[in-house]
Amino acid sequence: MTVFLASLGFGLVTAAVLAIAAVGFTLQFAVTDVLNLAYGAIMIAGAFIAYVVNQAGVSVWIGLAAAVAACSLGSVLVNSGVYTPFQRRGTSSITMVIVSLGMTLIIEFGVAAVAGGTSVSYTMGQGATLRAAGLILTTVQLVIIAVSLVVMAGVHTLLRYTKLGKAMRATAANKTLARNCGIRTSRVITITWALTGGLCGLAGVVFAMDSGSFSATSTDIFLVLILAAVFLGGPGQAYGAMLGAAVIGIATEVSAAFIPADYKYVVAFVVLLLMLGLRPAGLLGARA
Amino acid sequence: MSADLTLRGLPLRAEGITAGYGADPVIRGISVRAVPGQVVSLVGPNGSGKSTLLKSLVGIVRVSSGTVRVGDRDVTNQPPEEIARAGVGYVPQVDDVFAPLTVRENLEMGGYLLAHARLGEHIERVLGVFPRLAGMLSRPAGRLSGGERKMLAMGRVLMIDPGVFLLDEPTANLAPKVATELLEEHVRRLAASGASVLIVEQRARAVLAVSDLTYVLGGGEVRMQGPPAELAASPDFIESFLGGGRERGSGTLAT
Amino acid sequence: MYYVINLLIYAGVDAMACLGLSQQFGVAGVTNFGFIIFQAAGGYTAAILAMPPKSANGGFQSYIGGWSLPFPVPWIGAAVAGGLIALPFTFLVGRRLRGDFAAVGLLVTAVLLNLLATNYVPLFNGDAGLSLIPQPLQGEFNPQSSGYQWAFVAVTIVLAALVYLFVRRVTESPYGRTLRAMRDNDAVADSLGKNLLSLRTGMLVLGGAIAGLSGGILVSYITTWSPAAWGYAETVVLFAAVIIGGAGNHAGAVLGAVLVPVGFEEVTRFIPTSNNLPPNLIPSLEWVAIGLLILVFLWFRPQGILPERKRVIPLPAAGLERPGGPVVSVRHRPAAPDHSAPDHSAPDHSAPDHSAPARYGGPEASPVVLEAKDLVQVFGGVRAVDGVSLSVRQGTLTGLIGPNGAGKSTLLALLAGTIAARHGSIAYRGQDITRLPAYRRARLGLVRTFQLASEFKRLTVLENLLSAVPANRGDSLRGAIAGRRYWKGDETAAVARAQAVLARFGLEDVASSYAGDLSGGQRRLVEIMRALMTEPGMLLLDEPMAGVHPNLARRIGDELVALCREGMTILMVEHELAIMDEFCDPVVVMAEGAVLAEGTMAQLRGRSEVVEAYLVG
Repeated sequence: MTVFLASLGFGLVTAAVLAIAAVGFTLQFAVTDVLNLAYGAIMIAGAFIAYVVNQAGVSVWIGLAAAVAACSLGSVLVNSGVYTPFQRRGTSSITMVIVSLGMTLIIEFGVAAVAGGTSVSYTMGQGATLRAAGLILTTVQLVIIAVSLVVMAGVHTLLRYTKLGKAMRATAANKTLARNCGIRTSRVITITWALTGGLCGLAGVVFAMDSGSFSATSTDIFLVLILAAVFLGGPGQAYGAMLGAAVIGIATEVSAAFIPADYKYVVAFVVLLLMLGLRPAGLLGARA
Repeated sequence: MSADLTLRGLPLRAEGITAGYGADPVIRGISVRAVPGQVVSLVGPNGSGKSTLLKSLVGIVRVSSGTVRVGDRDVTNQPPEEIARAGVGYVPQVDDVFAPLTVRENLEMGGYLLAHARLGEHIERVLGVFPRLAGMLSRPAGRLSGGERKMLAMGRVLMIDPGVFLLDEPTANLAPKVATELLEEHVRRLAASGASVLIVEQRARAVLAVSDLTYVLGGGEVRMQGPPAELAASPDFIESFLGGGRERGSGTLAT
Repeated sequence: MYYVINLLIYAGVDAMACLGLSQQFGVAGVTNFGFIIFQAAGGYTAAILAMPPKSANGGFQSYIGGWSLPFPVPWIGAAVAGGLIALPFTFLVGRRLRGDFAAVGLLVTAVLLNLLATNYVPLFNGDAGLSLIPQPLQGEFNPQSSGYQWAFVAVTIVLAALVYLFVRRVTESPYGRTLRAMRDNDAVADSLGKNLLSLRTGMLVLGGAIAGLSGGILVSYITTWSPAAWGYAETVVLFAAVIIGGAGNHAGAVLGAVLVPVGFEEVTRFIPTSNNLPPNLIPSLEWVAIGLLILVFLWFRPQGILPERKRVIPLPAAGLERPGGPVVSVRHRPAAPDHSAPDHSAPDHSAPDHSAPARYGGPEASPVVLEAKDLVQVFGGVRAVDGVSLSVRQGTLTGLIGPNGAGKSTLLALLAGTIAARHGSIAYRGQDITRLPAYRRARLGLVRTFQLASEFKRLTVLENLLSAVPANRGDSLRGAIAGRRYWKGDETAAVARAQAVLARFGLEDVASSYAGDLSGGQRRLVEIMRALMTEPGMLLLDEPMAGVHPNLARRIGDELVALCREGMTILMVEHELAIMDEFCDPVVVMAEGAVLAEGTMAQLRGRSEVVEAYLVG
């Protein structure tokens, strides 16, 4: 039982990190119709930016702010500079996958070139270990969960209660009609990428915090978890991504209590393939 | 029941519009005008280019030659969001609402260009015109019936007090009674409140009954124009719809 | 010197892998982002077949197999394994899944299988992988000797050359043409009777076998098999190679292999290393450069350095006269008139109009070819087709008209099998086809054309026509492998027929132009000609005159009438009612999902409910 509860604790943290990442990814898909496979690479770039700041003697939380800003800007550049021009040309969606893989190589191995291949860690205290209801979590892990909850609440507020959020949903639902309403959709899309790019950077840093040590290729597997969460909830559905993250995050970690830990990601893999084969629109998406 | 609407109408003038999707233009040299307070209808058989004309007026289809003026502003080939800012409200034939958004949110998007403080007041006014919508404000637009969707689509456009309304076959897929209600009550009221209304319709008889001026399109060109009563009485009118063997110019047949 | 040998072997192996990918992706449009798995599977199989039992060498490795099989069995096993492992992948590729979603599924599979291999010790020995893999014939010869090494090179190069010839043979056959058609427009290929699932499966297996073989050869040379070498990034490198070299051109694939995986490695060898630089820097920058190359090429030269060549098929010396007799052989020639066939047309069937010229020699007497009863189709709550019953008789050119939203296109799609009817039945020549999908109806002789652009853009006009021929011996994998001599007869006959059809419509001089380069009207003609090549018994034409110059439209109309005289049956949806006037008899009017009336255009114009339907809308 304690093993189960311990892994549930890990699951909650993983779900928290995954939720931040998956929501960003799915919103990018919603407004642009592109699966940004470079998302994992941008995450780890954010993690390293925070690392650099951290190594300069500053708290890693300041580094986090730097990462969010940098990834926000970087994501906007990737979309406006690469994805949008290709799409405007009528590039097929499969070729867009190849384009995003090319971006992944550039970013991920650009980071590797600068940072080297060895794993690094943040200089930070993990804080006290807290126990409640059988769960064992460090302060940092609790902070991560709290941050994730705040982000989810923020995304919810943005989408449901602000003009910008509604304009984002309108653009995702029917871009031409949105323009007919006077919405400057290209601006809305840029802002969406700026916000989700920030989420990407945030996700990268908390991922690195949770992993302990990380290297340039650490997010390769994590991207699979993101995809599983996104497709479980439905590509383009923000609430679906939150739901998917909770399920995948917890299920993955809890499964480690029953099967060898090295294979825990198999759960995510199976979920993803099942969703693609049976219901690509996801649990919350419209039936095809 | 009917709300007090006063709209600052704007004249719409399209001159010599040639537009299309690929190499061959779908419409050629079309000129139409709409004046505040008037209902102007565009009718014609399938493939005559009616929808394409509307789309070219709102910046969705590229105009290769000709001009479009709203008021004294040249809006030819402007992006749709700028044409909306010029005071043009467009209701497309399909995909006319934001399906995942609620009725209220759809109206809010219609009022995107309004100051936040005015939003509530405008929504109230639209609900006065379409009272059925009041009971459905939290429902996702995708779950409305055909007639309700059309009302929402028109309500959305009404939010911004456009000077020009462009309606693309608003009665398509509506039951005849609902269609008549839409045309006789709502479309006529828009013009009566001061706006210019340009409406494309398949149901020629029904729309002629509410129009002040009608253009008959065929083969991508204007074949006839004039007051509806005169047109309907002319033998050429029926022929425009059903053909009749007469040689009709040498342009390509529009899709 | 070992450097050169190393280089050549890698070149051969990479060329082979790229050829497999070029066949899958460049020719058939199957975007297999899990490609590396096939190579890895082949390598692993070759290893476990060649290795001694795991207890040997001190038993420090764990794996299955270990039967010490002699050369060439491990390599054959590698190819077989690569092919077999392709079968589960068809789950993702064959289904109607959005292209980029399927690609992501395959990519993820590669990542996860790599993870499993890295961790599952009993099978794969974990991330240590396998080592001390025996080299071919190492019992008889000394693998270290330069003679052996050069022999290895020679064998590798020869095998690569054989693979090249093999994929060329497959691609330059009617089967290859079908693959390219599927790549250009799979929905249309489907409607022409091509079995997409079996085509894609075939390509996965074929490409997988080639990849497996290349993996086996490589592993036998370097004597190790390490999961780290088979990551998803390796697939991206191969894709980059094929894109840069030229997708769809096998010589381009070889060029890409030489430039990218091989050339890249070699160029970086000459960059001076320095202890001041991080050790990871150069390899990482290689990857960055590959990513940049992919983007640059996709932007500036997506067709690659060696683009796909246009296939120009020489037409036999064209006779200047039209060949005598019908050039389109109509399946099922007119049988004796069947008076017992019940007439299910709309109740208000007018008396035959004897003032109109009798075009078809007594259409009432000819048998019913297509019979639809009470068809219903619902879209989003609207009854698009609401209980339509229809009979079409042989030799007639029937028009289907009606205002927008009347349900004409939906009815056509139901008859063709593009969509399945909610209720009702359809019989073609007495056979119930209600449950048959479109491609099966096409094979029976009921063929449709499409309203929107549906030519195969990167095939020539002649190839477009040839792609539709139903029975060509070369149009199967087996036939393609059998070689030109096997299918030459069928191909020549098909070319002759295509030439006759082209001549009939006056388009012989564009036979070797890409179909995507033609004008709108010409492309409509290609559509019709292609349908004729399937030897249909009945054609369902969806707005064939749309966007066509009236003069050309008239010529098309004349040709359609001539076809009907030769026994063809045609049902045509059209908007332009002048066409109906001149060519169609009978004409069926639909409104609001139901059949309103039937007769000649002149009769229909006189009927008030038809006029009202158009004006009321």
